Amino acid sequence: MNLSIRGFLRTAAFLALAACALAPAASLARAATDTDQWIHIRVTSKDARGEVVRVNVPIELAAKVLPAINKDQLHDGKIRIDSAHMEDVDLHVILDAVRTAKDGEYVTVQSNENNVRVSKSNGVLYIYVTDKEHPKKASKDDAAKGAKSSESVETKVEIKVPMKVVDALFSAGKDELDLVAALRALSAHGDTELVTVKDAENDVHIWIDSKNTAE
Amino acid sequence: MLVLAKVALGLGATLVMTTAYVFHEGVIRVDVDEHHRGGEHVHFWVPATTVSAGMRLARLAPQHLLEQAAVQVKPYLPVLRTLATELQKYPDAEFVDVTDPEEHVHIATVDGKLHIDVLDDEETVHVQVPVETLMDVADRLEDAAQSAGEDEWHARHAKHSVALASE
Repeated sequence: MNLSIRGFLRTAAFLALAACALAPAASLARAATDTDQWIHIRVTSKDARGEVVRVNVPIELAAKVLPAINKDQLHDGKIRIDSAHMEDVDLHVILDAVRTAKDGEYVTVQSNENNVRVSKSNGVLYIYVTDKEHPKKASKDDAAKGAKSSESVETKVEIKVPMKVVDALFSAGKDELDLVAALRALSAHGDTELVTVKDAENDVHIWIDSKNTAE
Repeated sequence: MLVLAKVALGLGATLVMTTAYVFHEGVIRVDVDEHHRGGEHVHFWVPATTVSAGMRLARLAPQHLLEQAAVQVKPYLPVLRTLATELQKYPDAEFVDVTDPEEHVHIATVDGKLHIDVLDDEETVHVQVPVETLMDVADRLEDAAQSAGEDEWHARHAKHSVALASE
């Protein structure tokens, strides 16, 4: 009787040990919570192939991985801006002016070629650009080849950025953009649309939500 | 009879434990099918533990190949390590999906394994690697890169000492 109990206990102990060993270590790691924010990018091509690209990245993952990449202008999660290309425009001064200004529409440009609207409302910066590409007149060579003039093409860009994200982006200093700080600010902001671009070739959609798959 | 039973129990338990250990990290699976005439068909799976253990055992063998590889990938090791650590937090997620009539690329984690699937007209590739194994590989390569760096330092130091002595 004693022997059978001892045997049972031994077998049970072995089975328990085996179960511990079999338990995947991945399950011991902290699983992502439902509140984690994901940045989604979807590009849909309008050509005959109809290519669709979907990229989903947890913001937390991006914020951890970016500082590990040190290449060219990117280092420690920051991008160095070449001041030579800024043409004496002080972005910080402009940003400060926008931040302290009241809500409203700051820039409105309407022309035959494009419309641009920049506005701020409830701590969110909105940029709308509509670019109209008019059909070019067919050249003599094209006409000789029987080519038709291209059709009118319109590109629509809508960008929506919370001001806190813009602040975080410019928090690194004069010649740097702090991508990691911007990502963390985005994560804290919650679900939001960021960029929509529609043109003749592609639809681009960038947004943030807590789902780990694209729609 | 009792002795035989004890031996059988011991062997059985050892077998269970060994199997449990070998498979505790999961399995690495690779399937490659080239669709053209005479194309390669590669299908294999290995317990992920054997990769980790194999890289540890490589310490006993001549290290120059591992160190050479480690030095080449050294700039990317921090990214690999961080990525592997973070991916463990997302055991079931879809990261990339590219679809067009001729090609489908899919990168996701399923049950803690990184799945990379590429399907196109020319070939089909399926790779499954436990995320934990990526960590192990990054660790081993970091060790090897460090060891290569130390060897290089010792070689330079020895050369410098010889030069000083000859002066």
